[in-house]
Amino acid sequence: MKVLALIPARNEADSLPAVIRSLRADQPEIDVLVVDDESCDATRELLPGLGVGWLRLCEHVGIGSAIRAGLRYALREGYDIVVRVDGDGQHPASEIDRMIAPLLIRGADAVVGSRFSGSAGYQTPPGIRRMGQRAVAAWVSAATGVRVTDATSGFWAFGPHAIRLLATHHPTGYPEPELLLLLAHSGLCVAEVPIHMNKRMAGRTSLTAGRLGLACATTALALLVAPFRRPAREASGG
Amino acid sequence: MGNLVQIGSVVVSGALLLLVIDLVRRRKLTEEYSFIWLLCAAALLVLSLWRDILHVTARWLGVYYPPAVLLLVLIFFVFVASLYFSVVISGQRRQIEHLVEELALLDQRMREAEREKIDRFPIG
Repeated sequence: MKVLALIPARNEADSLPAVIRSLRADQPEIDVLVVDDESCDATRELLPGLGVGWLRLCEHVGIGSAIRAGLRYALREGYDIVVRVDGDGQHPASEIDRMIAPLLIRGADAVVGSRFSGSAGYQTPPGIRRMGQRAVAAWVSAATGVRVTDATSGFWAFGPHAIRLLATHHPTGYPEPELLLLLAHSGLCVAEVPIHMNKRMAGRTSLTAGRLGLACATTALALLVAPFRRPAREASGG
Repeated sequence: MGNLVQIGSVVVSGALLLLVIDLVRRRKLTEEYSFIWLLCAAALLVLSLWRDILHVTARWLGVYYPPAVLLLVLIFFVFVASLYFSVVISGQRRQIEHLVEELALLDQRMREAEREKIDRFPIG
């Protein structure tokens, strides 16, 4: 069973080495691939010295593209499972086993790690952002028929079907809620597992007030039209 | 419609038509994207040359000042053209994303091949 940890990274120079160290320590049998989305900090110079595989996008095209490139790499190199881990240290390497378990045991095609379900520690402080996250989760749950408590989580595990599908069709922009709809709409089985998340080690969220507004608007529109789209098809080859 | 307005609109729409054709001739505009502008210029030219069409259309639409129909046609074409170009840009955005992704994968393959070469022939 070949497993790849995919780290889409943009300006994560301060936390990336620690994230990779912890992946190496906790999950020594898992390969790591960093996809740099044209960072403007030292991430770029850091890549060759990290001792892991890396791709560098030559223009800033967004996280969706970084993930698609990583998934195509996984497809080419014959990986069975891809775990998407953020480069800011929010996603502990120790939770990867729990993320992969539903793929192996319950036959799920994709797994999303939820910060909010179960008793796992992390909670967004109550406020407009939490309300927005709840609203999106409720909408996605209603549209997919899968109970989702955290529709904006970036902690994912993909099985072979999801890898083939998303290598060409992974959404862009602020992709996570749309990704849930796409997977469910294409007939793939999505499972949610409660996981513990850390506070980010360094850097700040890329969502400023203006961008948050734009993210909400694009997500809302994407969610409204997604159910009327034709289901996406899996890529055939590697 | 006064003669001056008619002459003005014939000249402007004729000039627009010639401009678009010239842009295509100089390869500044591809044929594919020129059709909508050719259509727009031709429609304006026809409407300004034959007043009757304009008057009938104006009466039919309930517009009191017939030259306003010219504006209406122009606005319609500009709107359709903008929408069309937004679609084109969105398509190009997808193509660029795809190219950037493929380039990153190719670059990784090249590095891999270089390293293999160095491993196999360490001296040369």
